[in-house]
Amino acid sequence: MITIVFSLFLLTMLVIVAVAILRTDNLFTAVMLSGIFSLIMAANFFILDAADVALTEAVIGAGISTVLFLSALALTAEYDRSPPVGTWVPLLTSSALGGVIIFATFQAPRLGDPNAIVHKHVAPWYLERTPELIDVPNVVTAVLASFRGYDTLGEVFVVFIACIGVMSLLGRVRPRRDSIEEGEFEKRSDNLRHHLIPRVVGKMLVPFIVLFGLYVQFHGDFGPGGGFQAGALIAAGVILYALVEGGPRGRELVPEWFSSMLVALGALTYTAVGVVSMMRGGRFLDYSALSHDPIHGQHMGILIIEAGVGMTVAGVMITIFHAFSRRGIR
Amino acid sequence: MEWVYFGTCIAILITMVLAVVRGLMGPTIFDRVLAVNMFGTKTVLFIAVMSFLSGRPDFLDLALAYALINFIGVFAVLLFFQSRGVRREAEAEREAGK
Repeated sequence: MITIVFSLFLLTMLVIVAVAILRTDNLFTAVMLSGIFSLIMAANFFILDAADVALTEAVIGAGISTVLFLSALALTAEYDRSPPVGTWVPLLTSSALGGVIIFATFQAPRLGDPNAIVHKHVAPWYLERTPELIDVPNVVTAVLASFRGYDTLGEVFVVFIACIGVMSLLGRVRPRRDSIEEGEFEKRSDNLRHHLIPRVVGKMLVPFIVLFGLYVQFHGDFGPGGGFQAGALIAAGVILYALVEGGPRGRELVPEWFSSMLVALGALTYTAVGVVSMMRGGRFLDYSALSHDPIHGQHMGILIIEAGVGMTVAGVMITIFHAFSRRGIR
Repeated sequence: MEWVYFGTCIAILITMVLAVVRGLMGPTIFDRVLAVNMFGTKTVLFIAVMSFLSGRPDFLDLALAYALINFIGVFAVLLFFQSRGVRREAEAEREAGK
């Protein structure tokens, strides 16, 4: 009961904020409001018991995407140009689509209905067999990494391809001659190095964020977390360092060749686990074949593929951030 | 003990609403920055209290992650304004030099 009340309350706020994001002309306001949007969404995920998703939303939605939005905003204008006349076609399309979706929700099961199809299908089987087959306390990790290993492999490759797409837009092109020269800009400080308090506090936090990222990476079997969240957290640590010390110093810490290599290496690691399990007589991504003891093999497989996922995600975030900072937050 | 957590949750939710109102109304950019910052802090508190209310204090991990990550957004905003200021200054100087 409490869950539903809180959830409704947060979702109402969510709708209000979403409308405000659409209504505002000032893009900076829109970025700030979308930060609030992510935080509401994360709190809502948490109330609905989706701790792993809430962690992802917090790190990526509220943390990294704010940074990336601001980096993009620094390269463009501050105000949104109002769309041209004739807005009734999009209005009609979106209200028709919205109507269909609202109509579909009448058929959906009620929140928490134990007889809903999603609770009757494979979920009970996963819950029942996880201790016996995989033996990790966090069933989400078991489902994500082992039972649904193919899907996760697909997700990793989606992230990989998205990175290629973004880099082909932002990548090697030299930026146009900007309002001021790069050297001059560096001199005028493109970072917070000249501000003592942010510098000291920021640099102090970097190791803790990275450490926490490693904890989330390797504790994913037991608590909320795993490769996706950990990769984003570690990338957030690197990004914080780059914000405090400036883009060039950030690129010294994690060079661009290394971060883009990490993207490919993570996806390769994941696939390699599948190939090795095939060579040892199992099926593709059947970790039980990795060791003499099937459960030990499962643990090993999950650990390695989570590491691969973490590498890819961290690599993608850092690569995109570097691409923006090279274009100049100027 | 539970009603204490429950009351705290309600109080935090009300504070969240206040933060959202400030974020929506503005009027200046700094009001919005502060609103986001405050909303982030309230989310951390809300998750911490909710994890006790639902009897799973191990989800405090999440609150920790939020607290660490909130910081980065603020830094990005600071940097954004600083570099915008630098650029505008340079543009103004160039205009004056012409």
